[in-house]
Amino acid sequence: MAGTRNYDFLIKLLLIGDSGVGKSCCLLRFSEDSFTPSFITTIGIDFKIRTIELDGKRVKLQIWDTAGQERFRTITTAYYRGAMGILLVYDVTDERSFNNIRTWFSNVEQHATEGVNKILIGNKCDWEDKRVVSTERGQQLADELGIPFMEVSAKSNINVEKAFYSLAADIKKRIIDTAKIDHSAPTGVDVGGQGNAGGSKCC
Amino acid sequence: MTSTPDPATARPSSPANSFYAISDDDEGEYDTITATTSRRGVKLLYSKSKVYIHPTPSAKDNIPGYIALLQQKPSPSSRPSSSSSSKEGRERASANLLLAWLPESSLGDALNTYVKVDLCEGDSPPKQSFLVPPPPTTTTHSSSISIGHYAFAIPLSGIYSLLVRPPSLGWWFGSVIINTRAGDSFPALFFHDSECQSTILQKKKRTRENFDPFGANGEMFWGGDEVLRWLRRYVTIERSGAEPNIYLVEPSPEDKEAFGNPVTSTALNRRPSSSGVTVGGAAGAASSSRSPNSRDAGMDPVTKFVKEAGWNLMEKFSKVTTFTRRTADSVIDNPKVPPQVRRLLRNPEVQTLQDEFDSARIYLARWAMGIAEQSERDKERRIWTARDVLEMEETGVGEFELLDTEIGGLSMAEKRKTVTLKEWSTYFDPRTGRLQVTPDEVKERIFHGGLDADDGVRKEAWLFLLGVYSWDSSAEERKEDVARLRDEYVKLKGAWWERLVDLGGEGDEGEWWREQRGRIEKDVHRTDRTIPLFAGEDTPHPDPNSPFADVGTNVHLEQMKDMLLTYNEYNRDLGYVQGMSDLLAPIYAVMQDDAIAFWGFQHFMDRMERNFLRDQSGMRKQLVQLDHLVQLMDPKLYMHLQKADSTNFFFFFRMLLVWYKREFQWLDILHLWEVLWTDYLSSGFHLFVALAILEKHRDVIMTHLQHFDEVLKYVNELSCTVDLESTLIRAEALFRRFQRTVEAIDKKSNFPAPKLRQRKLGSAIAAAAARSISPTNPSSSGTETVVSASTSGADTSASNDIPVTVNGGAQNKGKQNDTTGNKDGQKSEELEEQAPKIVSPELRELLSRKVEILPRKIVRKEGEGLAKVKKDGK
Repeated sequence: MAGTRNYDFLIKLLLIGDSGVGKSCCLLRFSEDSFTPSFITTIGIDFKIRTIELDGKRVKLQIWDTAGQERFRTITTAYYRGAMGILLVYDVTDERSFNNIRTWFSNVEQHATEGVNKILIGNKCDWEDKRVVSTERGQQLADELGIPFMEVSAKSNINVEKAFYSLAADIKKRIIDTAKIDHSAPTGVDVGGQGNAGGSKCC
Repeated sequence: MTSTPDPATARPSSPANSFYAISDDDEGEYDTITATTSRRGVKLLYSKSKVYIHPTPSAKDNIPGYIALLQQKPSPSSRPSSSSSSKEGRERASANLLLAWLPESSLGDALNTYVKVDLCEGDSPPKQSFLVPPPPTTTTHSSSISIGHYAFAIPLSGIYSLLVRPPSLGWWFGSVIINTRAGDSFPALFFHDSECQSTILQKKKRTRENFDPFGANGEMFWGGDEVLRWLRRYVTIERSGAEPNIYLVEPSPEDKEAFGNPVTSTALNRRPSSSGVTVGGAAGAASSSRSPNSRDAGMDPVTKFVKEAGWNLMEKFSKVTTFTRRTADSVIDNPKVPPQVRRLLRNPEVQTLQDEFDSARIYLARWAMGIAEQSERDKERRIWTARDVLEMEETGVGEFELLDTEIGGLSMAEKRKTVTLKEWSTYFDPRTGRLQVTPDEVKERIFHGGLDADDGVRKEAWLFLLGVYSWDSSAEERKEDVARLRDEYVKLKGAWWERLVDLGGEGDEGEWWREQRGRIEKDVHRTDRTIPLFAGEDTPHPDPNSPFADVGTNVHLEQMKDMLLTYNEYNRDLGYVQGMSDLLAPIYAVMQDDAIAFWGFQHFMDRMERNFLRDQSGMRKQLVQLDHLVQLMDPKLYMHLQKADSTNFFFFFRMLLVWYKREFQWLDILHLWEVLWTDYLSSGFHLFVALAILEKHRDVIMTHLQHFDEVLKYVNELSCTVDLESTLIRAEALFRRFQRTVEAIDKKSNFPAPKLRQRKLGSAIAAAAARSISPTNPSSSGTETVVSASTSGADTSASNDIPVTVNGGAQNKGKQNDTTGNKDGQKSEELEEQAPKIVSPELRELLSRKVEILPRKIVRKEGEGLAKVKKDGK
């Protein structure tokens, strides 16, 4: 029995992107494996938690969801600082949301912790007849920004799991595997979170 | 064997009878479940949404689903395994009826049917026959595990009993556990009534029809009642005399006798095979997992059961252990604890689980709150008055008192009586239609009583409250106003209509319009869609290029869209911001007239505009006010929030932005808003509502929540759990106390301060407040705020006032060293006496009834409306 350890690491993620691209839906899919088409708009901030297993370690993901509208950016950027990974989400059926990714990206560069892991996510990829942003363009942008890319569908449950896992794995590689001891991962875990959560909770 | 109902069953002769008979003849329309091939579907008689399984202690794992009663075509071969000697016909009926639980995610296309049946009104199943794919059926829980994802359907004949627990613990969920004849139990099904549309509607209906607020009413309606009602139509359900939470399904005479006896200490174990009654579904699951046909033979049965029981089990333990591991240890040695529970507690897997449970403070906090509310409610059985509510609460603000002078000649009950259309019309001169009482009298009535929800008085009264009508107008003048406003609305609307003919036009301006339209449309389609008015999608979308062209729309959504776009035309400085659709929806729903609703919204926006600026200055100001308010009124709580890095009060952001729209049920919002619109005590009364909510939960927050994320989660999840009426009463009491505190401070600052007895608390707060201001704290925006706080109880006399200096600024004047460890308080006492004792200007504003409306130039600067686009474009 592994004693009373509940998780080995806590990783904080943040979802950003234009309003209506489906950030909350992606999160709901990942955390509760459900989908609600007629969703409500996100006001303020919230988070959900899911514990996953990576290389035999229990990794608790705390995923912050933010309001997408630019007008709330003063509020939302406050949460960039604590994030260890950021999902930049656009909607493949919405050109504007894709074009705004650059703005979101530079915001991240400006406000987030240096070296924070990022991933570009094109949501609603199930909706082929409405698609306006091709996979190639998405990939191209991701290459240009130097970050991984994935098209997902929260509705049809395509790749959502994969996207979160891959980001979490990247973070684990960056922060945890490179550090030799358990609790040497203080990066960004202190913002509004459990102070000791970056390390392990020992028995 | 006939499929018509056996008269011996409890099934009443109702339309359901004929329904049953007729539809049974529809050969091939639905199919038996036992067959694995060529299924057409089974008949969905009843369904109820938002029934959850909580597989683990964590709410993230909760699985939402539907509980449903299904009817399958009788199969000649299928026999219930029941050993009870009930009549065969009845057995048949109960074998063909299935009680099922299916996760939402598994329903696929059938979801719509489940939704429809859920929302069917009336007691009998829908006349129309709704067919759904047959769910996987089983007679035991252990065999259903293989099906995966917890879904199950069990023939009624396979159910031995139901363990029914109403939501007795405040807003904790009620649950039903199915104990099978095979001897095991299914996981507890939790009824999240506050999310379940049909239950909400039924509740409201019942309240309307039966509830007498001043009578000795009792019963609380919940989702589980419905399930029992469905079942009673078809089978005999008997409530156990010995164990009132146990409902026996088609009990045999032996069962009846066994369960009819008075409760003894061993009563819970009377029937070993369904011992799920011992600790929720837990022990039941345990016994089944020990049985030879257990599926997870390799796993330690106890471990397995713990894994399955998860939250259910811990919920039980939490009662015993007062929620902490520390005390759990002592429980193990407590001789009163049943041996099996003691054994379980020693199991390492349980310890892990418990640890997880222990760390999930939020849920603990909820639980604790639930118990507190329950005891409150129990004491409240008599006539419910404000005093009752307040007496129960011991808060950091000290004990509340209600001054009789405040109540005046009226009793509280009379004062809080709803204003009906009839009463409303007595306020006006029948000839001229002019108000013949003072506006303040009207406001006072609405502030305390609210407006009748059903008689249409809101339609009229809201226009006064919002400022569309002036209080001194005559009926004739109002008529003219309305006509003028209609014209004006049409004109404004026409302006952007024309623009959109060419898709919004060229250049930045065109781009801006298209963007606004897209944004508004998206949001309108996700605003209050659970309200019947906005639910429909039956109208084809007027624009085939809209992203909602495939989904369809309805006339009200289109009206909402138009009004919000028109508002952009009217207010060229702000631009649409998320949250505005939330503010418009209730006004539109009450008015159901777009032009009138628009102007109501326009007035509402005058005061709410500040919430939507780019620099968030308006929101920040309110959060600062709340910060100061908590410092002044409940320094102890404030100190805790500081330790928890939560004094940015971001966890109230959503509540303040849209005036609690997401925190209360629809009808409560209508009530709350009309109360706030009166500005009867303060134009910032919504901040006292915030304080009231915070005070209600302060003990829980202080005991259980240590970090910002926990506080945020807890407060976010208060959504739709807060009782409005008692919150309003508390908010009013808090306002009165605030008022007196400020008066006391003002009075004192006019005289030399007397020598004061220093309380430890005061010094600690002062020190803590001085020491740490979170960098994210909006209140640390540079200006130094000095607040003098009275923390005394009911006695506000100057000699008992403890001055507390709170330094909100960056310079701490050496107070940094004066830590919370400073027990004697000497040092801070000296400092305090030197510090000026004033109430911050932000706080003082809360005494004002005047609504703050932003100057246009601020909105122009910090908004992103059409005017800005035009200016920037040039």
